[in-house]
Amino acid sequence: MGDDFLYMLGVVAVGWAVTVGMRALPFLLFAGRRREIPPQVERFGALVSPVIIAALIVYSYSGLQWRTAWPYLAGALTVAVQLWKGSPLASIAAGTALYMCLVSCGCMTAESEMEYGMAHPLIRMTEKGMKFQDRYVTPQQAIKELERRRVPHDATIHILVDDENAYRRASLVFRGMLAKAGYARSVLITEKRASSSSPIQPEKRKDVGR
Amino acid sequence: MSQRSSPLAPRERRAVVRRAFFDSIPVLMGYTTMGFVAGVLLAARAGVSCATLWGLLTSAACVSGTYSFAIVQPVAERVPLAVIAAMVASVNFRYAFYGFTMLGRWKGVPFLKKAFLVHMLTDENFALEAACRYRAPSAHLLYCLSVSAMNFLYWVAGVTAGTFAVAVLQGAMDPDVLRSRTNGMEFAMVALFLVIFTDQMKGFLRNGR
Repeated sequence: MGDDFLYMLGVVAVGWAVTVGMRALPFLLFAGRRREIPPQVERFGALVSPVIIAALIVYSYSGLQWRTAWPYLAGALTVAVQLWKGSPLASIAAGTALYMCLVSCGCMTAESEMEYGMAHPLIRMTEKGMKFQDRYVTPQQAIKELERRRVPHDATIHILVDDENAYRRASLVFRGMLAKAGYARSVLITEKRASSSSPIQPEKRKDVGR
Repeated sequence: MSQRSSPLAPRERRAVVRRAFFDSIPVLMGYTTMGFVAGVLLAARAGVSCATLWGLLTSAACVSGTYSFAIVQPVAERVPLAVIAAMVASVNFRYAFYGFTMLGRWKGVPFLKKAFLVHMLTDENFALEAACRYRAPSAHLLYCLSVSAMNFLYWVAGVTAGTFAVAVLQGAMDPDVLRSRTNGMEFAMVALFLVIFTDQMKGFLRNGR
């Protein structure tokens, strides 16, 4: 709680300092002088800010499901309404409503609904190392990915292993790490059968040690 | 020095404030709605405790839609503050150019009033203030201050209400269900960028000709 409180206070302070700093910049630069703004400055601004916003649009699209046509459809509607009506509220509402409809119709998977279950295990242990979806990761990165996707702690994490016996030790260590990160329920599955094992709980093991 | 116009008569003052209020009605609808969505996202996605408090503080300290939307995901991932600073700087870079237009008109305004006007120099405020037709400095200043104060209230009320609504619902609803109900709402930020970009392009083409 304490750490979070300070962090959020930092987010507020940083946001205020940067935003108000940007807004105050011209007033600070031309504080004492006459109001003679070099025309280059204005031209620079007129050119640079759209470029930055365009970059932001590309960047935020990369967080959506950009391989499908749907996000572009919602974006096109937003721009069309803005060109037609010129009212930001109407355009944003139209685009967002369409996007939310598309998500709820199942055209796209929302990030919070990413599947991590048995049908599509996210984590796989292979000969060459651990895979998260389709890329190789370290065990620490795999846990980070789970957290980034907001996989709930009480979800059962399915780990697909090619050969159960070969990865006995590695999987035990990894499931210990998962438990430490809060994912107490994890299950090893092989292509052939699902071997459900009891949840590992490090605290309980400590008790046994005592 | 800028010429001091005679102070406004009470009737004129009322007229200016009334004008400011009517001009701010579109912003009222935009800010309360967008603020509400930003607040809902902050409370439902960012994973912070006392979301209502943070809704209030972030919206009051930083009246900027792009900021409120842009921080949700990084805060959820608890990225370092330096990264947040860089990100806010890039989304809000455009503000640095609004001041140049107002520089002349706000010459000689007392420090605190000017600080508030600068604090509130949002896209919508800038649009209203730059288009304001009052020529007399005192009327113009009163208009700018009224518009700024009203829009400030709209934005803070919108965001705080959004976070508060989620806080109330979280008591009654499963957090995962709540999160899935807001699925797709994150597109509002992309849409906001698209709207800003469209308007910039419109202005660019108009001036280029």
